[in-house]
Amino acid sequence: MSQQSSPCVPGLFTEEGGARVLGNRCVTCNTPYFPKASACHNPRCTESKMEDAAFGGKGVIWSYSVADFPPPPPHKFDKPFKPYVIGVIDMENGLRIVGQLVDPLEKVQVGAKVELVIAPVYHEDDKAYTSWKFKLV
Amino acid sequence: MQEVAVLGVGVHRFGKTGDDIVGTKSVTQLCRHAVDMALKDAGVSWSQIGAVTAASSRFSGGKGWGLNGNDVVEDMGSTGIPVYNMSAGCAAGGNAFNVGYSMVAGGIYDMVLVVGGEVMPKGMIQTSGLEDPNDPEFLRQRCVGMPGPSFWSTLARRRMFDYGTTEEQYAKVVVKARKISVHNPFARFQKEVSLAEVLASPYVSNPLRLFEICPVSNGAAAVVICSKEKARQFSANPVMVATSAVATVDFSDALPRGLSGPVPAGPSFHTESKAVVLKAFEQAGIGPKDVSFTELQDNCCFYELAYPEEWGLCAPGEAERLLDAGEYAPTGRMPINPSGGFVSFGEATTAMGVWQIAELTWQLRGQSGGRQVPGAKVGLCQTNGLGGNATAAILKR
Ligand SMILES: [Zn+2]
Repeated sequence: MSQQSSPCVPGLFTEEGGARVLGNRCVTCNTPYFPKASACHNPRCTESKMEDAAFGGKGVIWSYSVADFPPPPPHKFDKPFKPYVIGVIDMENGLRIVGQLVDPLEKVQVGAKVELVIAPVYHEDDKAYTSWKFKLV
Repeated sequence: MQEVAVLGVGVHRFGKTGDDIVGTKSVTQLCRHAVDMALKDAGVSWSQIGAVTAASSRFSGGKGWGLNGNDVVEDMGSTGIPVYNMSAGCAAGGNAFNVGYSMVAGGIYDMVLVVGGEVMPKGMIQTSGLEDPNDPEFLRQRCVGMPGPSFWSTLARRRMFDYGTTEEQYAKVVVKARKISVHNPFARFQKEVSLAEVLASPYVSNPLRLFEICPVSNGAAAVVICSKEKARQFSANPVMVATSAVATVDFSDALPRGLSGPVPAGPSFHTESKAVVLKAFEQAGIGPKDVSFTELQDNCCFYELAYPEEWGLCAPGEAERLLDAGEYAPTGRMPINPSGGFVSFGEATTAMGVWQIAELTWQLRGQSGGRQVPGAKVGLCQTNGLGGNATAAILKR
């Protein structure tokens, strides 16, 4: 796609230096957060100390589902609607995160390895709006 | 602490806006029907009610943001009694029951009316619709596009991986539920469905199909509770509340409720539901083996298989075998949702936790007709709702 692209919500992820989502991490208890948490939510953590962190790289599919029908607004999608797979990914960086898979249902399995990518979710006014997604590796 | 009795219960049959059951009735009209029925069942008059605990939601209610309780009191007659409006998503009815129970047990009021009712918007339950990047639900919809049922289908898919559960076994849960629904005059659906019909219904979110996910409904339920001492004036042998409990999610909960969370060290399940049921067992001094039957929140068929295992009613991975052997039926060894469950009623969110109390009461009185659990002595019910809320109650005879 040679057209312009822009994040569907700004400030949540980046492609610079590799595809990553932007969150933070409590350095006391090592709990990762995405999106950023203003304080650590771990009740057993002794002191909330938040530091910005970017999360990318690889993970495995914990489970997945399919959007067989278009979700209601505020979701936006390209017409005609094409069902897509939504993965719940256990990443090596310690985050369990949800995201669309770019691969078709037939190829997706629990336990399969994936990596985080930035890819379009919908198009509007000749522009691609992107989000974080996952791709089988 | 006072012992608490369930004196009377009432339910408006569940339906869908515009049908022959609920038509265009407002939530206040639905609640009126349930309250009148509960008062009559209890043998008390409206003026004897000392307080109302109501399950409120953002979906319906006349005085703004879902003030069902105030609408009901105005409609019944403004006696000036306190109204407590509880908001806890689909767990609100259970929360309202817990608050009513706690106040009667604590000796604050002699007699409390607990009420929940709903007129639901059409289609999938959706978010506020506001485009606020600080709202995680907005981000989940805009960035991922995760329709409500896909949370459930993610859990259902994982169970297929963990235990080898098949799509046919999920469908059998629904066949079992709808077989019972024929005997429940309050259920929205009162017709059996065949395995082939369930499996022929379209995927809403693969692996879950249309007939396997409970739709939204309109309906209402009300119960009158009072101290044991007070109950003696009305009934020689009332159904007693063994306990009522409320819990919320634990930090270790790793279900995909938001965009992300830390990868858990152990297995993943509904921590709020497990915690609340175990708390109820502990408070009541009642164990899973003592439970005659269970009414649990089956937003989809997955829960009827997973929850009994998570709570110790049966062993992990054993649910499918028990279902196949007929043990889930009202006449089985582990009756699950002898009401027909959410899948036969549809979900009228705030009514559910109150409706479960009514179902438990009828079972324990032996008034459940064709869906009766023979010799039912102890009933367990559970709800969970948006925000990580869960409630449980145990009733006994
Ligand atoms: Zn911490």
